[in-house]
Amino acid sequence: MEKQVIQTVGFRNIVENGEVTGFQFKVRLPYYRGVFLSQLRPGTVIIDGESISKENVLWNVKGEDFTAEEMKHDFKTHWSVQVPAVIKVKKPGGLSQGYHDLTYGFSFTSSYMPPIMQNDEALDPDKESMIFMPEFGHHVNSRRMIIV
Amino acid sequence: MYRYDKKGPKRGVALYSYSAEFGLTKTLEDCFEDVHDMGAHGIEILANTHIENYPYPTDEWVENWHHLCEKYEVEPVEYGNWIDSHVLGYRDLTTEESIEMLCRDIRLAARLGFTCMRTKMPVINEKLEPVLNWREIIKGALPVAEKFGIKMMPEIHTPTNLKSDMVKQFVDFAKETGTECFGINVDFSVFRTKFSEHEWVDPLYKANDPEDIIPLLPYIYCCHAKFINMNDDFEETTIPYPEVLKVMMDHGWNGYLLSEYEGADKYQDGYEVTQMLRKQHIMMKRILGD
Repeated sequence: MEKQVIQTVGFRNIVENGEVTGFQFKVRLPYYRGVFLSQLRPGTVIIDGESISKENVLWNVKGEDFTAEEMKHDFKTHWSVQVPAVIKVKKPGGLSQGYHDLTYGFSFTSSYMPPIMQNDEALDPDKESMIFMPEFGHHVNSRRMIIV
Repeated sequence: MYRYDKKGPKRGVALYSYSAEFGLTKTLEDCFEDVHDMGAHGIEILANTHIENYPYPTDEWVENWHHLCEKYEVEPVEYGNWIDSHVLGYRDLTTEESIEMLCRDIRLAARLGFTCMRTKMPVINEKLEPVLNWREIIKGALPVAEKFGIKMMPEIHTPTNLKSDMVKQFVDFAKETGTECFGINVDFSVFRTKFSEHEWVDPLYKANDPEDIIPLLPYIYCCHAKFINMNDDFEETTIPYPEVLKVMMDHGWNGYLLSEYEGADKYQDGYEVTQMLRKQHIMMKRILGD
């Protein structure tokens, strides 16, 4: 795994039935323990300045695709700190060859943290948390990526 | 199953210490080898971190786990788990659902050969008080814990004081139920007396004296040997280790001291926590006469 949250390996266009329907990338969990999917708060993908809302994004964990709505109710499927999740973004035509600026935000709940750090505002996946704690990582991560 | 029968305080390592390196530059086996290098015989894992495919590891993974314990002469001591009753954002798990989650962890801990669990409870306020139904959750899981001989322990960590009402409630619960499967894990952060000049200190925090641990010893089955700063003379400069360990030895306490490093500097590029762990283990060896 790469140290950055957004991984280079796994970044490519998605081809379905001969048609490019979007792109995918992988993220690792920058926390010290794995989380159940319902603990995740997926945010917005920003690719070259274009925002793509969470409704057009799937998470693939343990080989299975999950919508944001499905994740919200799933407290049995566990995402490991050792295995990146695949983020699949719907975007007909995909991405062109060359550089792309990618930003993605996600956060997660933690049952032992004080409630003030667990409300919707504190956990907004598209904004940084009030206090940065290295073992929780950043909500929002950015990386310049290359499609071949 | 590897067992190490030395009496008194024994040395171990909480693998949480490697959190900035695990999965990136260190494998589980690397951590085991490092513990072995230090001559330590106990280990704490975090279930949700170190067990591949948690909470349903394969038989192959479990077999390899036992192989690692034998190979590196390491005893599975404490299984770190969370009662995650806030796991759904829109409602709390019911008491029954929480018990089910806890029992799943007890069974897995037993399958891996652990004897203790650091059972983290979900909190409800800024004072970090546990959910109101914690007694019902623990009671519901006690028959399974007793069947497998697993001791569940909330961790007592700064800013909580050993003389606080929270600790009293946990000890009272153990007394009332008469169970040996519930106790506390004392994190040595409660003994910290020195802070650096610009460091933020919780206004609720008051350092415990080493003697404060004496009445709690019967309920402590292992400790987090928290350390903050080790100097090059192998001394911890913020926590009175010699005094704390002497009190524990003088009162005949048996159990594991699990080294835990949680300084944020471990996330800096190039930092290797084993440098600090090794210094701390030299200190503990000297104090324990190990």
